[in-house]
Amino acid sequence: MNTGPIHPRASRTIGAPILGAAWLLAVAAGFLALWIYKTRPGAEGTTAARNWPGQSRIHANAGKATLLLFAHPRCACTRASISELAGLMARFHDRLDAHVLLLAPAGEEPELARTALWSSAERIPGVTVARDVGGTEAKRFGVETSGAVVLYDTAAKLAFRGGITAARGHEGDSFGRQRIVALLNGAHADRADAPIFGCALEDEGPVRLVQANDR
Amino acid sequence: MSVSVTAIDTITAAADAVVLRAETRFEAHRQEVHCSTDRMFAWLLVAQWLFAIVLATTVSPYAWAGKEKSVHVHVWAAILLGGAITSFPVALALLRPGAPLTRHVIAAAQMFWSALLIHLTGGRIETHFHVFGSLAFLAFYRDWPVLLTGTAVIAVEHFLRGILWPESVYGIPNPEWWRFLEHASWVIFIVFFLVLSCRRSYRDMRVMAERGAQMEALSENHWRNSSVVDRTAAESAAGRG
Repeated sequence: MNTGPIHPRASRTIGAPILGAAWLLAVAAGFLALWIYKTRPGAEGTTAARNWPGQSRIHANAGKATLLLFAHPRCACTRASISELAGLMARFHDRLDAHVLLLAPAGEEPELARTALWSSAERIPGVTVARDVGGTEAKRFGVETSGAVVLYDTAAKLAFRGGITAARGHEGDSFGRQRIVALLNGAHADRADAPIFGCALEDEGPVRLVQANDR
Repeated sequence: MSVSVTAIDTITAAADAVVLRAETRFEAHRQEVHCSTDRMFAWLLVAQWLFAIVLATTVSPYAWAGKEKSVHVHVWAAILLGGAITSFPVALALLRPGAPLTRHVIAAAQMFWSALLIHLTGGRIETHFHVFGSLAFLAFYRDWPVLLTGTAVIAVEHFLRGILWPESVYGIPNPEWWRFLEHASWVIFIVFFLVLSCRRSYRDMRVMAERGAQMEALSENHWRNSSVVDRTAAESAAGRG
């Protein structure tokens, strides 16, 4: 039996596959962590306004469905939601009146809401962009997460509330977008909601997330 | 009879020497191609890492909760996951250039970079072209099994994501069962032609090595003959003197 020291060349040959396996595991773990983060939805929000809130400063369009998208002006994830909204508007501009409301936190200069996200939303034909000072409108519509969409039909009844992306900041089709498309086509949607992926509109986001889960 | 056998033996030995010389030249050329491509990929992997960090810190620097901000997970992913993807293949390229393991690890790493960049750019369809660009670059090795490693890595990654998170691969949440095949077929399409190109390239390298070996043998033979002539002439001149 050979009990002598392992030849350096042999140890190098054994070492490389072990290092390779460790490398593969580390990379797989990294992608898993990223995947968990990207697919973790934000807070669903509080009580949904079944009918258009009368005190809202935005008016529901009687001739078209009205869509509101709430956004944190600096949320990178919401860029994907704006991109998805652009896709929806390109297809349904004749049936949809869309508003993007960018949060202007109380005590902050309102002009700070005019970010790249504002410009992107403004470039979409048929979309009205406005500030939501202090998140008043978000509270009226029970929205807590950036990228949340509420869709009201021509009778000002809530038809859908939720997100329109498949994950945090990820472009592409999603259940939310598919359901809105179905509703705008006059078809039946399997559900009237979808997970919302984005930053919390208010500071106590994580606490609210726990509360939402507890419910 | 023995004279002709000796002549045949000499010719065979000369031909074997040319074949051996051609093989040596081919192997040296192949090793040079592998080492230089390893070096290029080492630079590319580091460049991609830096690009990803700049991209993440520019496009998605922070996650927000009202007025509170924290470093976005994309930034950590670019630094840590990007660093992990880059470190091992770059170390291999520096420590074991030209080794088969090095180029196969580099192929896997390059495909991991495609996946990470797709994440960091929010699933933009344009970033998916990184996969095809990477496969074309891997063909620089002229070693077709490297392309199979790259294809296998991206296929497994797509297959797993297609099961766990289909929207991120196919753009729709409930794709038909054959959508995986549709994506795979486009990768197979490019890989098929790249494999052909690699094999042709190896064949050309072999032809070049053979021609080089023949030229070398001829010139050596010529030198030997001319040396004999020169030597005879020199001896004659010395005898006359």
